[in-house]
Amino acid sequence: MADLSAALPFKYTGMQEEDRTMAKYVAKRIGLAFMTAFIILSLTFILVKLLPFERPIGGDAQQIAYFDKQYNLGYVYRFEFERPEYGGYLYKTPTDHGRANYYYQVPVMTQYVNWLKNIVTKWDWGYSKTFQPNVAASVIIGSRIGYSIRLNILSVIFSVPIGILLGIWAALKKNTMTDHTISTMVMIFISIPSFVLISFVLRIFCYNLGWLPSSWPTDSAATAVKIQGYIIPVFCLSFSSICGYCRFTRAELCEVMESDYLLLARTKGLTRSQAIVRHAMKNAMVPIFPSILAEFIGILGGSMILEQLYGIPGIGKLFVLSLNYKDYDILFVDMAIFTTLGLLAGILLDLSYGFIDPRIRMGAKK
Amino acid sequence: MKKKVISLLLASAMVLSMAACGDNNDNGESSGSNSDSSQSSESSASSETQATPAPDVNANWDGAYIDAEDYKAYISHDLELLVSDIQDQLTADQKTKVEEAEAAGLAAIANAGTVADVRKAYSDAYDAILACVPVAEGLFSFVGESNDEKTNMLGILESYAVRNGITGMSLFEDGDYRMYNPRVTLGTENYIVGYGFGIMEEGAITADLDYESNADWKRYYHALSASDPGTLNVINDKGSETSDFYTYIRSNFYTTFMNDTKDGYDWVPELAMEKPVAVNDDDGDGACTKWRFQVRTGAEGLKYSTGSKIASRAAFNNRDVALEDYETGFKLLLTQSNQMFRGAENANNTSGGGIVGLKAYYDGTANGFNQALWDQTGIKTYVEDGKSYFEVEFLQEYTQFYAMYYINLIGESAIVVPQEFLDLVTVQNFLGFNIDATETPVDNSLPLGPYYVEAYNQDQEVVYKKNPNYVYADTKYNIEGVHMKIFPSASEDPTASINEFLAGHTDAAVIPQTMLDEYRNDPRTRTTTGVSVFKLNMNALNAEDWEYMFGENGVVTQTAKADYWEVEPALGNSHFRQAMQYSIDRLTFANARGSIPSVDFLSSNYMSDPENGVSYATTDAHKKAVAPLVEETDGYGYSLELAREYFRVALTELESEGIYKPGTAEAPTVIQLEVAWQRPTNEEQYHNEIKTFLEAAFNDPSVSEGKYKLSVDFWVGNEWSDVYYNKMMVGQYDMGFGSVSGGTLTPLKHMNILSSDQVISGSFTLNWGTDTNNPDAYPIVYRGERYSYDAFYNAANSQAIVSAGKNEAVVTCKYEPMVKNEDGSYAGALEITAALPASTTVTPVSVVCCNYERYRNGDGEYVESEVVFETEDKGNGVTRITFTVPAELAADYATGSGTSADPKGVTGFDFYYDYVLDGTESTGNYYSAEDAFVVE
Repeated sequence: MADLSAALPFKYTGMQEEDRTMAKYVAKRIGLAFMTAFIILSLTFILVKLLPFERPIGGDAQQIAYFDKQYNLGYVYRFEFERPEYGGYLYKTPTDHGRANYYYQVPVMTQYVNWLKNIVTKWDWGYSKTFQPNVAASVIIGSRIGYSIRLNILSVIFSVPIGILLGIWAALKKNTMTDHTISTMVMIFISIPSFVLISFVLRIFCYNLGWLPSSWPTDSAATAVKIQGYIIPVFCLSFSSICGYCRFTRAELCEVMESDYLLLARTKGLTRSQAIVRHAMKNAMVPIFPSILAEFIGILGGSMILEQLYGIPGIGKLFVLSLNYKDYDILFVDMAIFTTLGLLAGILLDLSYGFIDPRIRMGAKK
Repeated sequence: MKKKVISLLLASAMVLSMAACGDNNDNGESSGSNSDSSQSSESSASSETQATPAPDVNANWDGAYIDAEDYKAYISHDLELLVSDIQDQLTADQKTKVEEAEAAGLAAIANAGTVADVRKAYSDAYDAILACVPVAEGLFSFVGESNDEKTNMLGILESYAVRNGITGMSLFEDGDYRMYNPRVTLGTENYIVGYGFGIMEEGAITADLDYESNADWKRYYHALSASDPGTLNVINDKGSETSDFYTYIRSNFYTTFMNDTKDGYDWVPELAMEKPVAVNDDDGDGACTKWRFQVRTGAEGLKYSTGSKIASRAAFNNRDVALEDYETGFKLLLTQSNQMFRGAENANNTSGGGIVGLKAYYDGTANGFNQALWDQTGIKTYVEDGKSYFEVEFLQEYTQFYAMYYINLIGESAIVVPQEFLDLVTVQNFLGFNIDATETPVDNSLPLGPYYVEAYNQDQEVVYKKNPNYVYADTKYNIEGVHMKIFPSASEDPTASINEFLAGHTDAAVIPQTMLDEYRNDPRTRTTTGVSVFKLNMNALNAEDWEYMFGENGVVTQTAKADYWEVEPALGNSHFRQAMQYSIDRLTFANARGSIPSVDFLSSNYMSDPENGVSYATTDAHKKAVAPLVEETDGYGYSLELAREYFRVALTELESEGIYKPGTAEAPTVIQLEVAWQRPTNEEQYHNEIKTFLEAAFNDPSVSEGKYKLSVDFWVGNEWSDVYYNKMMVGQYDMGFGSVSGGTLTPLKHMNILSSDQVISGSFTLNWGTDTNNPDAYPIVYRGERYSYDAFYNAANSQAIVSAGKNEAVVTCKYEPMVKNEDGSYAGALEITAALPASTTVTPVSVVCCNYERYRNGDGEYVESEVVFETEDKGNGVTRITFTVPAELAADYATGSGTSADPKGVTGFDFYYDYVLDGTESTGNYYSAEDAFVVE
């Protein structure tokens, strides 16, 4: 077979080179994401470990008990003599032998190296110390991530069509009372944080009307109650998303509808509906779909405040609890998940443009 | 009013004074019956005009903010209060002498012409009164006294503390208003201090909770918790959260149930069969160290329960309790390698209820159970005549009630459990989850209490079901179960819990501050008393004393010069502190927050008679102690008039002493106080009101006409506990917010935290200003003898060697410089002195030498070597110990440590000794001389 490329007026490098460029770009982004995640987690570990000890209130007996526990957990050293090289001692207690036990904090970098070593060599992310003592941090995360995912998938399913439809409706009715009403409502509701919204919703639908559960139904609750339990958090999670999609869709659609090619389509005899469905919508969706994808990934992380307020045992609430409990191993796993999801969402968002609109190529040289 | 009464007394004193001074004025009308000080003064002046003109003693009065008569009235009142505090404990002869000294003092105060003279007159009278009462000398122990007498002793200690301002400034007791669902029948309608409403024990539920979707749980008691402890392992948790969840499955040697009249409670055996029996009460006084408890086992029908569906766990359901299971619980708790928080706490317990050998056992079990050490503990089990006994030897003698109390205290953590069950679930997972959370506390607990765990959905709910095997299952705990929902909003939103209650989702809720007015009088509302009194602790040290305590070489902690706390001298003035007490409108403050206003150091939960539930707050001893704080006030220590009056007194004194110089209305002298709060919410909720109370009282023009200004600032730490560790316990504060509670059945012991002696207070002193081992600081008089606070505290709680009224160590040691012999050996000597030779026998045990340099460098090569010693009785309780460090050993020490910069061997020794004081043996004592000599 003849090589046709020689006959071409430009050098055709083919899809292979393009793919290689793309693969390199993806690999580079993933590599950078790992590096970013590493830096974020390292900083988190070091900063969190610099938080002061929370000692119990009480006399020597309570102090000895507390510091012995910290020693057993590996957070402090215990020596029978002063070791100035570890800085000032945290606590000193006399022993029966007329001497003293000195407790020093294990240097943060020593803890850090040990932590990293366990992850790299054993994939051991540690275990809970205070929140759910003795249980592996990864198990705790695993048992909770399902709640967050279920809730957020429902939220996406709920918010995307409503938001886009409202946006389309507003765009089609541009500069009419309908458009103004929708746009005004969107501006108002997008400004209300979900934790404010949930307070109102709880007051009205749970405490005043008594229609819905006032907190997340437990696993032992009746199925009907469990289903009802989704309504408030899904609604609150979806609210700002609906507004966001609506505004975004309206803006994109309005822009597309004013473009020359749409005018051309109409002059070619297409009806307004045909022009919108066949041409305007397709182009308007180019920036909208990647954002849906990014949100879909982002929402796996849950909503810290909403989960906390409604008592949802997801990983968003877990993040807050692990901070409160100073249960660092859980915090770090949770943080790792949030970080990874955030970075992956960024990569996928960028890459998705290329898949949705072939004109966009990532990493291509000029 | 208070001033008027005082003035009347003062007028009487002036008459006495005139007579005492040989004034021939015999016109009795001068004292008259006038109750107003000005009238009295005028009357006196009038009579003096008619008779021999007497010089006006107040002609040169230099008090800037208060006139002479008023000031003298307050100082006289102080003197009378002093006498009032001690007179009940004086002998008849002492009483006469004290009254004479008091009268002379009042007269001298009346005749004083300047502020300094008045203060000197008071000081002289104070000394004269103290001189009437001899200081205590010898060995004292009042531990065997009756409850009533102990209440009196507590009153004496509290009076001392209040007069010296070391109780701080109490604000409120953490009681509350709470609502109960009408479907819940309370055990009693009136809250029982130290017991509650008896909801679970004696209460009932009469209707379903409609909101509950699980039909089986509709009759369960429904409550909320803001968070989930994640475990029921009460042995290994330092907070109260786990304990709150564990309480439903708890069992102990004894428990309490409401009495028949529903106004108190009775102690009843639970795992025990009867009240304890004394084993070694040789002197028949009812108190001894060894007590035996007949306990229930399977033979008496005691069986375990579990709700686990896992076959291996379910096999333990209805299993008989064995006697050895009691010991297993103690071993689980106290074996160090088990790493149980409460194990370390109990082993190191020195505050009461300590058991022989537990510390040694704990210290020696870092690598696991040690049978030899266990055999040396004071815990034994045995069967006798078919009955099972658990015997305990305490470190101290206790009466029967306190034997019950202290066995329960440790029994709370020493959970009865079969060893096989522990082996199955592992020590680490006992009462908690396993590592992959496939086993929950439902599976890993084996309760004997009123309920067992039915469901544990982490971070969602914990459900308990009535235990049919519970000892009192037929008569008590009639509610079918308990549903504890985890409700995080309760910690975020103060109205969340009450909203849940009002919506019919739960059975009880505390009414938040914002809804108090609406629901305070609701028929569902009840009030409770609190466990703690929250207060502003005070730093009343002057700069010199502060440096002694906390300076670069402080005896409590050491502080770098740059970090020295600038003490506010005004707080060192007792009248200034008194004025601050009167400035706080506690009733308004507490009412607005749904808590209870209080001037007390101890909350209502502290028991004068713990066996019968009589609160110390209701006793005369307490009322007398706090009388000066509440008299002439609104009943809760608030009187703006008195506050301003005492501020005037204080400023007059502070200026007279040259501590402050007055400013002007434009540029007033500022007295700056800082309140250290625990949390930002404290600052938000409390600070502005407290600041307003204090500043409004002091900054009123009537106090200093604007020459002084009080400014109250705040501080909040990163951690709630910072206020203790970074502020109050290290002297870096003016006022610090906090509360210390615990030991509500042993309030006399709880007074330890008011001591400035760190050994007595367990390094937990929060109020500074008075050396509590100074018997002259403020007299504590008991049965005709004078004590320091520390001496009296120790005597009341255990035993005290008292010398010149002060608390003394039983044995003191002093070593002499080591001398190098020609053969290279070293000769050492020390002298040990028994404070009370007649009652003390000291037995030297060993002298142990060691190269401390190696020891400190941690090179692991230091060796403790016992050396031969000789004793020489020098008489009068003094023993001289001589010993020799052999040349070979010294030569080894000389090499020092390989890691040391200084190759010379810093060497020291420990001297171990036992002693018997008045029949009570104490072993394992030591004296350590770490740097006794340097081997060259």
